[in-house]
Amino acid sequence: MTHAPILAIVLMVFGAFLTPVVGISARKLGLKRAREYFVIALMLAELALVLSMFKQVWGGQVLTYKLGGWQPPWGIALAVDGLNMFVAMVVAGMGLLVAVYSYVYMERDTGLDQFYTLFFLTMGGMMGVTLTGDIFNLYVFFEIMCISSYALVAFRRKWDSIEAGLKYMIVSSFGTSFILLGIAFLYGQAGSLNIADLIQKLEGISSSNLIVPLSLFVAGFGIKIAMVPLHMWMPDAYQAAPSAMAALFSGATATVGIYAMIRVVYILFGAFAIGITFATLGLVTMVLGALMALAQRDLKRLLAYSGISQIGYILLGIGLGTVLGVQGGLFHLFNNAIYKTMLFMIAGAIVYRVGTSDMDQLGGLWKNMPVTGTLFAVGALAISGVPPFNGFASKWTIYVAGIEAGRPVFTIIALITSALTLAYFLKALNSIFLGQRPKHLSDVKETPLPMMFPIMLLAVLCVVFGVLPQLGIDLVRPAQEAVMNSSGYISAVLGGA
Amino acid sequence: MNYIIAMLLITLGFYCLLIKRNLIKLIIGLSVMTDGIHLFLISMGYREGGIAPIAFGEWLKPPGFAARAVDPIPQALVLTSIVINICILALALSLTIFAYRHYGTTNLSKLKRLKE
Amino acid sequence: MAAESVLFGRGFWGPIIATAAMLLIAAVGGLILLGGRRITKVKPSAGKLKTYACGEELEASDIHADSEQFFSPIRRVFKPFYRYIRPAHSGDLSNYLFWVVVGLIIILISIAAAMG
Repeated sequence: MTHAPILAIVLMVFGAFLTPVVGISARKLGLKRAREYFVIALMLAELALVLSMFKQVWGGQVLTYKLGGWQPPWGIALAVDGLNMFVAMVVAGMGLLVAVYSYVYMERDTGLDQFYTLFFLTMGGMMGVTLTGDIFNLYVFFEIMCISSYALVAFRRKWDSIEAGLKYMIVSSFGTSFILLGIAFLYGQAGSLNIADLIQKLEGISSSNLIVPLSLFVAGFGIKIAMVPLHMWMPDAYQAAPSAMAALFSGATATVGIYAMIRVVYILFGAFAIGITFATLGLVTMVLGALMALAQRDLKRLLAYSGISQIGYILLGIGLGTVLGVQGGLFHLFNNAIYKTMLFMIAGAIVYRVGTSDMDQLGGLWKNMPVTGTLFAVGALAISGVPPFNGFASKWTIYVAGIEAGRPVFTIIALITSALTLAYFLKALNSIFLGQRPKHLSDVKETPLPMMFPIMLLAVLCVVFGVLPQLGIDLVRPAQEAVMNSSGYISAVLGGA
Repeated sequence: MNYIIAMLLITLGFYCLLIKRNLIKLIIGLSVMTDGIHLFLISMGYREGGIAPIAFGEWLKPPGFAARAVDPIPQALVLTSIVINICILALALSLTIFAYRHYGTTNLSKLKRLKE
Repeated sequence: MAAESVLFGRGFWGPIIATAAMLLIAAVGGLILLGGRRITKVKPSAGKLKTYACGEELEASDIHADSEQFFSPIRRVFKPFYRYIRPAHSGDLSNYLFWVVVGLIIILISIAAAMG
């Protein structure tokens, strides 16, 4: 339908406003879990809306929607091409799975009306960043997403949540003010705010004027995706957030951050020459994440450093700039969303049943939670790039891209980091599931079934995309063509009726 | 002249965020820095001897409204950004109150329990 | 199959064949393991199940293997890196903002070198 882009954003924001009303009336009428069913129903409708745009965009057409009927560049336009569609599908899918997961996980907390309101606002912000075609609109929705996530990190008001939320907030606000300063410089140079219009206007400006805005944008978005050395807030924030929200942030928010970086740097500025910066910083990120993860004692902190390491792989793939490199980077982005969300959900299941995530106090849980242990092993093998899971397919593409681009050093360091990844995941698997079981853990029960369902679905996706990697490359190919070649995007947004 | 003051405000905000150790001073530094960015944005749309961008009867005569008006887009951007910064300020101050209840101090060097 | 070997560069990787081969060999290995189990059940006395510590009495918490000890030789190999990286990840917020400014300067210099 022609109104699908704007409905996808508006549905989430209206859901945020309606959730307290549904919550209060559910308590008055005595219906126990009406609010959670409402949330899951809205997320299903959202996924259906996003998938309805799939057929048209797949054939290479760019869907545009002009807000209020105003013609761009005077009005705001939403534009959906291959790259947008790919990221929107990932975000909507992960949002639905986290909503199903938090049906059981958050039932012991109070104040759930506010939790689901903030959840919808975060989803609305993410959909807005993904689907928009105007750079200030991107900044506003980016801020909506960030502010809701500050409040979600500090949701349980214990000492570690407050400390982590405060650090995350100050570092991330610093970053978004860089983005605002970059938009100010860009507006002064070019005089327009629409992305398609800016692509045309920036071709006439010499590149030495564009160094400062470009580096401010890279630094601002780099704080959000945890590029080294801008990554230091991430382990604290992921350790202290409720595990359902840590799953959403690592799966969907990092994806949206990388999408914004690609859209601004590669499509808007057309600066493929700085790919070497991305590749080098990606290498440093990869190695630093793996080394710090090897020395951790807490499961969620180890998973956060592991997430930083995987973002390094994605930056390496995208920074290489060739067709195979960008395909590998985007495919790894998709796989990262799948297995990172799954691993954080498993960590949340352990915290829900045992009460702690400190690996020194756990041990021998395979006898109590055999299915959870098997799924953790599947996730650990997938993330280390072991065949026949999906991590192998995307990492192999990045390795081959590194050699074909003439830089075998990158491939060698990436291979060593894969081995280190397997090392720290084996350490986590051994400390939690194998070994001797302490006495106080002898009556831990298996994970409840509504929490197990999203984890099993994601594990099945891991295996499917590993056995049929051609499916993943076909999924990513329209996105990669949209990155390399933006003339279709410009003519669709500016020239369309 | 406006640009120099805007850059001065941004630099002062930077300095305050990096050097000071009290949480309230950090929040004030962040606010000063964003005010510098807003001043930079507004002064970029300024035109010498221009009129306010409201399309009123007698100002639509020649030489034309668009040739004489100050640019309205940075004003809209700054309005939106001021509202966003109020949200950040409110959330930061409420988190500082909670931090004071848990830690007993607002000194940054005591807030180091989550490390490595 | 031919399309996938062209896609993945040099070398041949057919994932369906590889998965089938892995499952087959895992089944054969499982059969070999099952065939080698003992037929009689073991029934050790209670004293044989405890850990021997040269005659001393040990608490259960002393002999629990820490998660820190796992793969510690790998950490010893990378010790020069750890000496610089671990103190840099202190919990200090001013430290975090300092590294953000260092990151901004590194990005500025490398983009200026690559483009300008």
